[in-house]
Amino acid sequence: MVGVAVGTGNIWRFPRIAAKYGGGAFLIPWLVFLFLWSIPIIIIEIAMGKGTRKGTVGAFGKLIGSGFTWMGAFVGFVSTAIMFYYSVVTGWCLRYLTGALSGELEGLVFESSEAFWNDFINGYQPVLFHFLSLAIGTMILYRGVVRGIERANRLFVPSLVVLLVILFLRAVTLPGAMKGIEIFFTVRWEMLLDYHVWLDALSQNAWSTGAGWGLILTYSVYMKNREDAVLNSGITAFANHSISLVSGVMIFSTVYALVPARAAQVISEPGPLNTGLAFIWIPQLFSQLPGSYFFSILFFLALFFASMSSLISMIELAVRVLNDAGVARNRAIFSVGAVGFIMGIPSAMNSAFFLNQDWVWGIGLIVSGAIFAFAVLWFGVSQFREHYINAEGTDVRIGKWYDAIVKYLIPVEVTALIGWWFWVAIQADPNGWWNPLRIESVGTCLFQWGVVVSLFVGFNWWIARTTLEDQ
Amino acid sequence: MTGQSLLMMLLMFTILWGGLIVLLLIALRKERQKSDDEPNR
Repeated sequence: MVGVAVGTGNIWRFPRIAAKYGGGAFLIPWLVFLFLWSIPIIIIEIAMGKGTRKGTVGAFGKLIGSGFTWMGAFVGFVSTAIMFYYSVVTGWCLRYLTGALSGELEGLVFESSEAFWNDFINGYQPVLFHFLSLAIGTMILYRGVVRGIERANRLFVPSLVVLLVILFLRAVTLPGAMKGIEIFFTVRWEMLLDYHVWLDALSQNAWSTGAGWGLILTYSVYMKNREDAVLNSGITAFANHSISLVSGVMIFSTVYALVPARAAQVISEPGPLNTGLAFIWIPQLFSQLPGSYFFSILFFLALFFASMSSLISMIELAVRVLNDAGVARNRAIFSVGAVGFIMGIPSAMNSAFFLNQDWVWGIGLIVSGAIFAFAVLWFGVSQFREHYINAEGTDVRIGKWYDAIVKYLIPVEVTALIGWWFWVAIQADPNGWWNPLRIESVGTCLFQWGVVVSLFVGFNWWIARTTLEDQ
Repeated sequence: MTGQSLLMMLLMFTILWGGLIVLLLIALRKERQKSDDEPNR
């Protein structure tokens, strides 16, 4: 399950957002929301998956009734829509890994690093590497849950930790690295009064831990009855944050050691498609290190492993939903792979389309988190806690305090976060915020969510019948 | 490095990595206990 949570966001998004607030001030709310968002929602996902033994669609239907399967379908669709372009991102990681292996990344300076990225992104290669990523992902799934997913994650997750620890040790021993570490951990207390830092910390938690995506629910379907929801959610969320912390120290140390004058700009600059740090700066930073060939390979291998472990969980989510609906597993795997490839092509070829999808379904994840909380509220929080979380065979039991988090805190968090993002979008484009054809507008979110929700509500009877017919 | 940032670093690593290690140890202990119990059932 740690493989679901740990992804590219830990390595390139977390340090960028932390840098926006000078480092330390971000870490406090980021830790607070680990307990007030990530862990409570992951607990719901594990308990629902383990308790219902169904993917997202069936789990909602079994928990709160067949009239609500469309909610599970929406949650599943959000993660699947993310999978379409996340596979493109995995393809970028794979391309840079091959670049590191072939020595193409050596000796890059800013202009050549940017030219390398532009040549790559404007050619046919993103489609090719998107295809290769999905092909690798579907082949892993084809080998089965135990021989495929479990074995792959047993390779990916420990290897990722080892690679990051090596890079971390190298980074912190660079001359000048201490300055970066000092800045990363310095708390500017006045920053905590700025609500932006709290909202960004909440969004980083929602993005990075996988809470509310439905992916953890999907893996929990295969969990043993005696496994604890609380313990496993703690391990997943703590592992995610621990890896982010190591990545943050690694990035801050490297950047402050190698380009001290421009460090703050280098870390916080979003760059093309929000990946400036990973694909523009890291190659040139590593090219200044002794042993650059070796360290570039390690970095992009870590990035690829992190990305692939998350991608396979997204493919598995869609496969499980189809499987629950009666489609044979292997047929479902290849169907999801083929549809994922076709639907990802526009994101691979067009940056505006990619950014639009990232905006619409990224915020959609917060809606998914709210849907999980709604399901538990509808079912009854106390009953859910007793029957599903503190189920027979579990040892770590959770108390009544959990009810208050789900009843009051999560709804407030969802409203604040979506309200804030929409507010920022309206401020940025006061005349066109309603326009569904703009890349990052309120209108495009409401339009795309609306189409998907209408379809699922309209066909709810059919979705429920195919998924729950064995009941 | 200032005292405040050093303290913050120690705190973050202790809470996150310390917490993770404790949770993993609990999980490992439970796993062992339960696999010991299973053949007796």
